[in-house]
Amino acid sequence: MIIHVKNLVKRYGDLVALDHLSLDIKEGEIFGLLGPNGSGKSTAINCILSLLNYDKGDVEIFGKKMTPDAYDLKRDIGIVMQNVAVFDELTVYENIDYFCGLYVRDRAERKRLVEEAVAFVELDQFRKFYPKKLSGGLLRRLNIACGIAHKPKLIILDEPTVAVDPQSRNKILEGIERLNAQGATIVYTSHYMEEVEQICSRIVIMDKGRIIASGTQEELKAMITLGEKITVEAFSIEEEQLHQLRELTGIVSVDHMDNRLVIKSDKGNNNLETVLEFLKSHQIGFGRIYSEMPTLNDVFLEITGKQLRD
Amino acid sequence: MPVFKLSLKIFRKNWVAVSIYIFIFLGIAIAISANSVPEKSIGFSQEKAKVALISEEKTPLTDGFQKELSKSAVLIKLPDQTEKLQDALFFRKVTYILRIPKGFTQSVLSGGSMQMKKTVVPNSVDNAYVDLSVDQYWNLARIYAKHEPGISQQQLVNQLKTNLSGSTPVTIKAHEQAKTANSFSMYYFNFLAYTLSAALIMGVSTLMVVMNKRDIKRRNFCSPLRASSINGQLILANLLFALSAWAILILFCFILDSKSFGTQNMVYFLINSLLFTGSMTSLSYLIGNLMKNLNAMSAVCNVLTLGPCFISGVFVPQEFLNDTVLKIASFTPTYWYVQANTRIAKLTQFGWPELSPIIQSMALLLAFGAAFITVSLVVGKRKNLMNE
Repeated sequence: MIIHVKNLVKRYGDLVALDHLSLDIKEGEIFGLLGPNGSGKSTAINCILSLLNYDKGDVEIFGKKMTPDAYDLKRDIGIVMQNVAVFDELTVYENIDYFCGLYVRDRAERKRLVEEAVAFVELDQFRKFYPKKLSGGLLRRLNIACGIAHKPKLIILDEPTVAVDPQSRNKILEGIERLNAQGATIVYTSHYMEEVEQICSRIVIMDKGRIIASGTQEELKAMITLGEKITVEAFSIEEEQLHQLRELTGIVSVDHMDNRLVIKSDKGNNNLETVLEFLKSHQIGFGRIYSEMPTLNDVFLEITGKQLRD
Repeated sequence: MPVFKLSLKIFRKNWVAVSIYIFIFLGIAIAISANSVPEKSIGFSQEKAKVALISEEKTPLTDGFQKELSKSAVLIKLPDQTEKLQDALFFRKVTYILRIPKGFTQSVLSGGSMQMKKTVVPNSVDNAYVDLSVDQYWNLARIYAKHEPGISQQQLVNQLKTNLSGSTPVTIKAHEQAKTANSFSMYYFNFLAYTLSAALIMGVSTLMVVMNKRDIKRRNFCSPLRASSINGQLILANLLFALSAWAILILFCFILDSKSFGTQNMVYFLINSLLFTGSMTSLSYLIGNLMKNLNAMSAVCNVLTLGPCFISGVFVPQEFLNDTVLKIASFTPTYWYVQANTRIAKLTQFGWPELSPIIQSMALLLAFGAAFITVSLVVGKRKNLMNE
């Protein structure tokens, strides 16, 4: 195991931020920590890194107990903080060089690593820019470069794509996959389920400091009763017709709102053809049709009764 | 030493703000230097009053008197007309009009009245010398006439001439004064308090605020660099900055007034300013640990430098300041620094009695430095990253 966390408890007064959290992260995986804001993801990361005192539990990294003085362990960890942690007084290159210099003393080696990091996050043309001149997306990429320049075995990214444009977000996600392909174990926290779905091989869903579900994407989706979700642009449909739709086999729920008809199916049932036939036979006019499989948001919704972004 | 190098880069980035204070200081120092030519009293010259002598009789004694008087006064010839004499006094052509009445010589020689009529400009110091010369001549003439009966007037004139020809050599022996009292050095070192405080707060506090940002601190904490090593490198960088600022300002002093570096007083000026640098570095370190926002740095710097400088006697000498103000000022290191400077400037002897109050002030500067560091450590412990 790269990270082994057992019964971690962290309290802020009466508030239990982490409630007996246990995790096992294996070497070479991209491990996703998914949960809404305030679910305890960052607190968990801070406790794992010994940045926060915790009340109870054990944290082991690379098979050794993690403490504030575990400098040998820290050498192989790369951290990308939720808030951008760079110096406004240094240029892009100088920032990466400084953070890399905290791990690598050899100047020539450091220069090579910094150049690689600059190229990796595609900030070559911005190397002499000061952080204040960078856009949000570029700044996030700089933050990542500062965390990974020393080529760590374990990289922890705490919500690295917050307030980032889609283009930069895709570049960041592609970069994380490349880092993993190069051999790094990744711990990725986010409240964006699409990102976690896109890159993570194993996912833990957290809420109120507790793990509410864990497994691969497929395993998590298999936990819920929901199947295919069909969305149809239907401009006029009568209440009687909605009632008839609900009576069809394998259909769990039917809702019509704002000219959108949302039909949810039972797990294992594909009702697209049945729905289309129903619409034709009842001469109900319709526009575009979407069919999607359940998402992690549906998993979260079914387990907690609320949306991930509530 | 990545943190040390980073600190130097941040200092360099911040140099404009620091150099503004240094350039203003330099401008003022050069102005003080240009206006502080010391006045030296190495001799004196006798002032001579302008005297109009109107003699209503002409005797050898009155002629002799005129010659003697011309040695200590400038004799101006004026017509014996009341209006012209009054005009001459009014326009200060003369400050003293002396009238020898008819029969005056005989009256003096016979031991009678010695009354002359004089008209003078009021409050003229020079006239006192004329009075002395007049009294001296005629009193002496009377003494000779009394003790050498039958002496002719010509003989008497010769005797008086011989007698009054003697002169007394005068050497000015004022109390020895310190070469640095009220000198450029004193003003420079006093004013140094303002520039040094400003430079140190802008440099050291800024660095500490940057390094104490929560995310940066956490990021550094995640690295394999020991906390003690990070702190050690920070302290080293701060000390280097403080010493460099001090050395640059002292170098300017040397360029502007190199002569004063030959005095023993300068050694104490340097020690005092070095201790003040230490004390202000500690204060700046504390401010850096307390502050969170860099935008407020300039305002804080102005309050913490100008305030103590105004009440401690940097801009206005301490003797002109109110007792209450000075009591409040005594809670700042600047007050003790200025007080030590003022005493050092007046030093002419360097024994224990003269040095002890200076050393006391210096010890207080050290105590201030230690106190600020202690408070910084306490604040640092309370703001422990792991409890946030």
